[in-house]
Amino acid sequence: MNKNNKLLNIEDLRVYYVMSSGSVKAVDRVNLDIGKNEVVALVGESGCGKSTLAYSILRIIPYPGRIIDGKIYFNNIDITALPEEEMRKKIRWRNISMIFQGAMNSLNPVMKIKDQLMEAIIYHEDAIDDVEGAYLRAIDLIKRVGLDPSRVLESYPHELSGGMKQRVVIAMSLLLNPKLVIADEPTTALDVTTQANILELLRDIQKEVGISILLITHDLPVVAEIADRVFVMYAGKIIEHADIYSIFKEPQHPYTDGLISSVPSLVEGKLKKLKIMKGEPPDLINPPSGCRFHPRCPYKMDICEKEEPPPVTIKEGHVVNCWLHVKR
Amino acid sequence: MGLREYTIRRVIELIISLFLFSTISFIIFRMMPGDPSSLYLEEGILEPGMREAIRHMLGLDKPLWEQYLIYLKNTFTFTFGVSFLYNKPAIDIILSRKLLNTLALLLSSHGLAIVFGILLGVWSAWRRGKVFDISSMLAAFILYSLPVFWVGIVMLLLFSVKLGLFPLAGTITAGLTHENILQYMADYLHHLILPATAITLIRLGGDYLITRNTMITVIGEDYIKTALAKGVPEKIVVWKHAARNAVLPIVTWVGLEIAVIFSGAVLTESVFSWDGIGKLIYDAALWRDYPILEAAFFIIIFVTLVANFLTDLAYAALDPRVKYD
Repeated sequence: MNKNNKLLNIEDLRVYYVMSSGSVKAVDRVNLDIGKNEVVALVGESGCGKSTLAYSILRIIPYPGRIIDGKIYFNNIDITALPEEEMRKKIRWRNISMIFQGAMNSLNPVMKIKDQLMEAIIYHEDAIDDVEGAYLRAIDLIKRVGLDPSRVLESYPHELSGGMKQRVVIAMSLLLNPKLVIADEPTTALDVTTQANILELLRDIQKEVGISILLITHDLPVVAEIADRVFVMYAGKIIEHADIYSIFKEPQHPYTDGLISSVPSLVEGKLKKLKIMKGEPPDLINPPSGCRFHPRCPYKMDICEKEEPPPVTIKEGHVVNCWLHVKR
Repeated sequence: MGLREYTIRRVIELIISLFLFSTISFIIFRMMPGDPSSLYLEEGILEPGMREAIRHMLGLDKPLWEQYLIYLKNTFTFTFGVSFLYNKPAIDIILSRKLLNTLALLLSSHGLAIVFGILLGVWSAWRRGKVFDISSMLAAFILYSLPVFWVGIVMLLLFSVKLGLFPLAGTITAGLTHENILQYMADYLHHLILPATAITLIRLGGDYLITRNTMITVIGEDYIKTALAKGVPEKIVVWKHAARNAVLPIVTWVGLEIAVIFSGAVLTESVFSWDGIGKLIYDAALWRDYPILEAAFFIIIFVTLVANFLTDLAYAALDPRVKYD
């Protein structure tokens, strides 16, 4: 039994997509933790396994993926071992809800918004004391995200704009007072102004109701805006994690450094020259040996190709997996 | 645009289409080599004047444009002239039992194929990669590639000739007088089972494969993951969220396939000697019975167009994004 007071604790998790041509090692021995009322960002390129990690927390990994081994503790209960029905009733949406990538596709096109909201309540009836209250809460939440319930509830998704849909999805995620909300690229499909509004809304609500958020993104400015801590993922592995300040000021892993430098910034009124990271994200069926970043790393040493780097604690709460930091 | 205006517009379109298709079928039948008289007579055996007399009797000696005008008048007054072969009004022959027999066969078999195709396709996609999925997909590919007349003949050989479980031909037992309506229906059903099963089996493969395919696309959508994450029970996610979206393309497909369905009836009805429109067309084509062919084609075109219209209405009812315009 895991003994700490973290809300979520992922230990040595492996999630593979098992196919006849080989397994895609989307999540490979990942450790991650989220505290109460904490906003944790999970950052990495597309296809590095971020979304798969999120799906495995809710156990909704698409075909042909499955959890190979490892544990996911939620409030010190290993949810990888929970029976399906228990998982559905007690964990999904009740305790952990999720905002999916792109607002456009998270709502069923042939169902009214009202029915999609109520569904979350109906199928948790035995877990909710007050169903009537839950309905009123749905109306309150729609108002809270800045929408007009009389207009929105009776609408079909195609009758709303992208920003409105994303607000509906955020309201929906808070419906059952979850402890953790996973937000997978919550602002990707939106225009810049709407993005800013949605982020502000998310941050305000997080402070208001006191929830934890796992924010999955490749968008570093978003991270800087709302996260407390950052986990950097590369090719199915966490390669560095630290508080937000350390990640931006003292990135230790060459990949983290590359990610931060590849974002244009206008600090002090002048545009820094943009560094572009060389190479392609690796193939996860046959990932590179040793450190998975070595084919793209500017500081590559001999050992990087041969052995996987161990975790090195730089300071309290800042850990990096890189041979550059191993004292030998 | 509302439903009323939409319907009016579609009815006008229907009349124009019927006119065009009727003209085309008039031309096609007269392009077929020979005419009825050439089949009734073998030249040299009969008196030379006989052939001309028959052509005159059937009105085939009139100029083509005059035949066309008569044809149009007959068509749009729904009389279709008198059958050369049966010497009775063509419309009476078609509307007698034959249309009902064909509808009974096609509706029962395709209804079953669609219902089971959708049920199996949806479940197969949800259980993707499992034994159920792989075995039903294999079966579907085999069924889909079989020709209907071959399946019909094999079924007749096995179940009628060898096992004697089902009658060989017809829609009711010849010479039997039925005591009541129930006995009649039981006899009819007994005759219906083999041809209906043959069509169901052949069509099931296609309906299943299309459903499975669209279902797999739908399952990958974020709203399905959202529904699962919401804690909606799996069965509700499959049927209410996924299947509801996956059947939309099937509705379109079925609408487009209606003409093909009728052509299948010609083969099946010939194999099972099922007394319907399909067999009638087959015989009429052999004997160049223009009035019957024209009447039958008109009915098929009419049914197809009406069915397409109903398909569009069904689609609009199923998908809130579709507007009448």
